[in-house]
Amino acid sequence: MSLIWIHEDAITLDHPVMDAAGSHAEPIFIWDTDRHDTLGYSLKRRMFIYECALDLNIPIYANNPYTVLTALSKGRAIYAANSPDPHIKDILSDLNESYDVVIIEAPSLTQVPDDTETGRFFRFWNKAKKTALVHSREQAVHGRDPQETDVKDKLSS
Amino acid sequence: MSNSLGNYANHISTLGHVDRVDFGDRTAILVQVKQFSPGLDTQDTVISPVRGGKCEAQSRLEPLKPEAYGSTRNHLDGAVTGLSPFIRHGVVNSSDVRDRALDVSTPKQAEKFIQQLAWRAYWQQFYRKWPDLIWQDIEPYKTGFEPYDYADDLPEDIAMGETGVACIDQFIAELLETGHIHNHARLYIAAYVCHWRRVKWQAGARWFLAHLLDGDLASNNLSWQWVASTFSHKPYFFNLENVEKFTGETIDTRMKTNGPLAGTYDALYARLFPNLEPRS
Ligand SMILES: Cc1cc2nc3c(=O)[nH]c(=O)nc-3n(C[C@H](O)[C@H](O)[C@H](O)COP(=O)(O)OP(=O)(O)OC[C@H]3O[C@@H](n4cnc5c(N)ncnc54)[C@H](O)[C@@H]3O)c2cc1C
Repeated sequence: MSLIWIHEDAITLDHPVMDAAGSHAEPIFIWDTDRHDTLGYSLKRRMFIYECALDLNIPIYANNPYTVLTALSKGRAIYAANSPDPHIKDILSDLNESYDVVIIEAPSLTQVPDDTETGRFFRFWNKAKKTALVHSREQAVHGRDPQETDVKDKLSS
Repeated sequence: MSNSLGNYANHISTLGHVDRVDFGDRTAILVQVKQFSPGLDTQDTVISPVRGGKCEAQSRLEPLKPEAYGSTRNHLDGAVTGLSPFIRHGVVNSSDVRDRALDVSTPKQAEKFIQQLAWRAYWQQFYRKWPDLIWQDIEPYKTGFEPYDYADDLPEDIAMGETGVACIDQFIAELLETGHIHNHARLYIAAYVCHWRRVKWQAGARWFLAHLLDGDLASNNLSWQWVASTFSHKPYFFNLENVEKFTGETIDTRMKTNGPLAGTYDALYARLFPNLEPRS
């Protein structure tokens, strides 16, 4: 039975990480006060995040994520949705030293190659619109929705 | 909850496991959030009318009108969705939002809306690639000024919404009270901070991140850089006439209460960017 870290970039149970981890996996949310303090989050931001988490009806821990995940994992794999946030990546990277960490992508709006020039939006959009304007249903038919990711790729920025 | 946060003993009761409160009881939720946040300024007592959770997201997704969005989105009362806090925290995914748009309209009708969703994807892609640049000037300012010409800290009157420029103060008040403002209001405030007050975009971005329910390092910081001109060809600025056109009657756009914003684009350009060649 794996553990799923529901972090602040994907406060949902409607994410491919759930299927990947299996029906017996245990999703948990971790409230990271230090992180909120560091980022200077106002009360209203904290309240909004907490309501999103509470709505999922899963266990919530208020502590350092690394501490909670290592304490609860007990050798189980740890699953998480991918995130661009270096703070989340660092925690997953540290966990990956001693635990089996699996990172899963959400379906993306567009399929734009990573080497696309990111200097200005409209160059990006010219490439993005081919897939962005197509319904997921049709993209799935054409096998365009890869969700498996290589953990090393995802942890290196 | 355990009050031994930071106690790393390997036992569930000391791990900070939180006792559930009823989702319907906002007062109890607020008490818990305050308990978890001992470092929070005691003056900070405001909570947003916008609630978190999937139902709230769904209630914004259902009335989506992509076609009307295209022609009205720049207006404060346009057909914008208010979905950003939910997208930011992954409560709904942008591809689900796109799918909903395509369920209720054709790709052509939905193009402008999906293009806006793609702005987010664009900023995210940049952030994934260059996370270390997120607080740095990506390019030089194109304002005729150097970074050292800009103040490091946000002036108190801006932080409090007491600048004396009526419409700016109204936008700031909404930000502080609700944690959500329209894209155009964000552009106006950011341009006012960077160009009228010559404050570093980083100071404004940090302040927005504290308050915006959708506050996101990628969309926020890179949008601020777009306004400042450190991630665009030229600085974004506006005039009072533009505010009048897009905001409607609830916003005070009288000349006498918004003096610094009044004038033609050429005149304001000359005033805000005196080291640059005149516009015309
Ligand atoms: C200075 C400044 C700071 C900003 N900070 C943030 C931020 O921290 N987080 C954030 O999500 N957006 C930010 N934006 C972008 C934009 O203002 C908001 O996404 C939008 O106003 C959210 O309202 P909405 O959900 O009604 O958007 P809608 O107009 O209904 O758009 C639908 C969705 O598309 C995305 N979107 C729309 N416009 C943009 C845009 N210009 N850039 C990126 N995504 C967009 C959002 O996810 C939004 O929810 C910022 C813009 C500026 C100018």
